[in-house]
Amino acid sequence: MNDLAFHIGLFLFSTLVIVAVSCMFTEADDQKAVRLFPRRYLTFVVVTSVVVAVMLVAEHTFAAVS
Amino acid sequence: MSSSQDPTPSPQGASNPLVATLLTWFVPGAGHLYMGKMRTAIIAFVAIEGLYLAGVMLSKGMFLQILPPEMRGRFAAALTPEAGNLGALLLHVRQYGFGDIVPTAFPSTLHIGVMLTASAGIANLILCSRAHYDARVGGLKEEPSAAPHPGLATLVGWIIPGGGHFLQGRKVRGAVAFALVVLLFAVGCYLADGTNLDRSRHFYYWAGQALLGPVAFIAETLNGHPLMSARPTYEDAGVVLSSVAGMLNVLLLLDVYGFSEARRLGRPLATEAVDPELESGPFDASLR
Repeated sequence: MNDLAFHIGLFLFSTLVIVAVSCMFTEADDQKAVRLFPRRYLTFVVVTSVVVAVMLVAEHTFAAVS
Repeated sequence: MSSSQDPTPSPQGASNPLVATLLTWFVPGAGHLYMGKMRTAIIAFVAIEGLYLAGVMLSKGMFLQILPPEMRGRFAAALTPEAGNLGALLLHVRQYGFGDIVPTAFPSTLHIGVMLTASAGIANLILCSRAHYDARVGGLKEEPSAAPHPGLATLVGWIIPGGGHFLQGRKVRGAVAFALVVLLFAVGCYLADGTNLDRSRHFYYWAGQALLGPVAFIAETLNGHPLMSARPTYEDAGVVLSSVAGMLNVLLLLDVYGFSEARRLGRPLATEAVDPELESGPFDASLR
């Protein structure tokens, strides 16, 4: 369980940096970039979580070795 | 780097930006020589090729011999930072290649040497961007007081992540940028237990983190390439994160370059160029 929490924490941190830098890249105005961040961060986390879920289901269904 | 909707026009009879960039890519300073800027050309050539030569001498030209035999393809050198200094790299490959059949011992100064050759390649890419800007601007009216030269700001941003923003007066953004990418790099180093800080272990991932500049090189020097008895549990994650930190720094460098360019030419920034009534940026529909 600790390992899972560590992985989730690492995922949230690395995505935070990626989204924050991408906000800086696409928006030159600091205040606009700050306003953009929460929505984009949430979107990024949700979408990547869906991708992870699909990958886990696919792995469990098609690639599991019993 | 200008907006695709409203590109910066090249004045009639000015130097061709593409030619200037390609010349610089092959020989540092050649693009500026083509534009008639002799002093910049000489300084750039001496600085970048001097850096490369020093690196070759310290590493005895063995940076490609670090690659394991199964990775020594025809284009193995194309994904290295040294490819930014293409002429020197081609000569290097011709002169040293992957070494003799019988392997020889690496010099003790190998790691410092490869840092210098990689730095020369990245510095020349930044010089390419400068040559492209200088050729495009040509006789156009500039406002040098509005912002530092895009090439200079980009170079400073590579030497110190966020430094280019500081130079432009965007201090908060610079501090946040520095904290984010350096922290991500530090977390990567921690997870990989420092194994990422060694080109002989992770040849191509090392190239990614070299984009973070001297910060990565200093960390590598301080870590000192210790021998490892076992692979760290999170080595893979650490190596990837530290490499991602370097690549994110490229986004920051592009931000720095675009800001300086827009300010000096008195043009709107890419995100300002979009009609605010419809959309204030390419991805921020929420602000409509």
